[in-house]
Amino acid sequence: MLGKDIYKIWTPIEANWIQWIRPVPFVQMKDQLENNEFCNFTIPNIHYIKENSMNTAIIVDLPSYNSIKEGIALAKLGFRPIPLYNGTNEQTGATPIIDNHPIEIGLIWGALELEKIKIGINAPPVFLLDSNRMHRFKMDVSTFDNSWDIYAQDMPSAEYFLKNGIHKIIVRGEKIQKDLRKILYQFQKKKIKILFTDGYKEPEEIIIKRPPREKNN
Amino acid sequence: MRLITIPKEKYEDYRLKVMFNCYKWDPQFLDNNTIAKYALVISKKEHEELERLTEDMDYETRKAEEILNEHLEITKILALPKKIKKELKAMDNYDKDKHIRLMRYDFHPTIEGKWAVSEVNSDVPGGFAEASLMPQAAIDILETNKYWYRNFGEILTKAIATKVVSGGRIMLVHCTSYSDDRQVMQFLGDKLKNMGFDVIYAATDHVRFLNQEAISILSGNEGKIDAIVRFTPLEWLIDIKPKHWKGYFNTNTISCNHPIAIYAQTKRFPLAWNMVEKFRGKFTTWKQLLPETHEVKEVKNKSGYIYKPACGRVGERISIKEACKEDEYEKILKDVKKHPKQYIAQKQFNSKPLVSEDGEKYHVCIGSYSVEGGHAGYYARISQTPRIDSYAADIPVLIDNEK
Repeated sequence: MLGKDIYKIWTPIEANWIQWIRPVPFVQMKDQLENNEFCNFTIPNIHYIKENSMNTAIIVDLPSYNSIKEGIALAKLGFRPIPLYNGTNEQTGATPIIDNHPIEIGLIWGALELEKIKIGINAPPVFLLDSNRMHRFKMDVSTFDNSWDIYAQDMPSAEYFLKNGIHKIIVRGEKIQKDLRKILYQFQKKKIKILFTDGYKEPEEIIIKRPPREKNN
Repeated sequence: MRLITIPKEKYEDYRLKVMFNCYKWDPQFLDNNTIAKYALVISKKEHEELERLTEDMDYETRKAEEILNEHLEITKILALPKKIKKELKAMDNYDKDKHIRLMRYDFHPTIEGKWAVSEVNSDVPGGFAEASLMPQAAIDILETNKYWYRNFGEILTKAIATKVVSGGRIMLVHCTSYSDDRQVMQFLGDKLKNMGFDVIYAATDHVRFLNQEAISILSGNEGKIDAIVRFTPLEWLIDIKPKHWKGYFNTNTISCNHPIAIYAQTKRFPLAWNMVEKFRGKFTTWKQLLPETHEVKEVKNKSGYIYKPACGRVGERISIKEACKEDEYEKILKDVKKHPKQYIAQKQFNSKPLVSEDGEKYHVCIGSYSVEGGHAGYYARISQTPRIDSYAADIPVLIDNEK
């Protein structure tokens, strides 16, 4: 299957939220299914939410393809997984900061899993991010920097969330990263509740402090 | 000029094709779909007019940058960033025949039935794949032979191949963290690779200069470079530490674009015209198309003017009130007051919206490219507000065969 075919499985035309799925990893995909022996694609158990609630969106911010695994687990609970990966592959021969290839393999695996799951067209979204994206440490200046940030324009607006009945966003991750914090702060300003879970504890409401850049505005 | 609808039942196929075959990797911006549901058809007459105006303006612009480069004393009014100003002297070895000059002039139809030009993207114009592959995707979907298009990619790569040694090493310098930069470079890189060039995707700090020649230090790709195609704007480049970027200004390595582009890139360029004219520069076409432009202080309390940042891009921070979101307008005015030299005041033109077959109104910006002085195709965007910014949708430009 080509990247375009994989993308089509993730983006059934009639479904809501799919317009935010970034094509970048799909465009860069090669036929890598046979190279996935180092990836562990066991679908995790979800402890922090029992079933989908139509007023709740989730952002899974875990390293590499782990967010895809969790996205598939949440798809089984009725959420629509929306991959937001935006990292590019390195120049041939160069040493990259981030290895994006396992994400491509994960998306191929995920597509095959998604075909077995029935998700409602109005299912609430679970956005998938790679928490490695902001690793900026360069061993050497000759390294290929393919780290990336998530920006407000890569996600729906607060107005779109509210219009579609989403009043709560749960962030599942190890912490709330700097780039996401800026986006969530704006959502919070528009009265969307932000909750956080490490995957084990119940999601707890948090207050996002004004990010430094916002202070001048 | 008119909008024709991509048939509704074929639009999803078209959108997929644009993403996967036409390098459009950013099809969504917040809640906005950035792939238009239309194609823009311009008449043969409109095309010929745009072609002529583009080439005339390009001639004037290139002549002006040579004059400015020879007479740095008249560049003060451009209020260029200090770090750039320091490097201007280094460009005294600039030889236009050595490098490849690429620009894009943004045209808008006005209610008076004329064209207005809002700016020239002199330094790092984008939209390469949209201008080269999207028109064919639209023609295929529309199943028609009534239209043609000028393929920008073919013209740019031909110009590169004319100057760069066959099979040479070309570094595509961009912000490697941004996929929307990479999509532009990937389109060009794939094309150049097919022509037999050795292509390297890298960042500005992967280049070092030795005896004014560029060298790649990117891991696994070290060695001499025969040409640089840069997509990192100059005003970002100068913020990179350590300061290895200085070599870009006086390099003998073939560059597209060479930093000479900065003179016309700043929106303050028109403020220097009077002085350039003293050295036999001419701006006849520019003056016909660019709305009156002044220092901010000259239009105090006058209505009908908008403010534009000197180093602005993609319509950012332009004070068109009806296009500003939330408190953006007030923020811009506050910033103009604080940093008047970083802005210009420009008479607002009245953009004439086109009406689609389904009755929607859209404002249009047609970016018209020049490569080495010749017209090189179009990159257009449409928006429901008169400001064409990141919320706008990309639309292919087709030229009518007959009319």
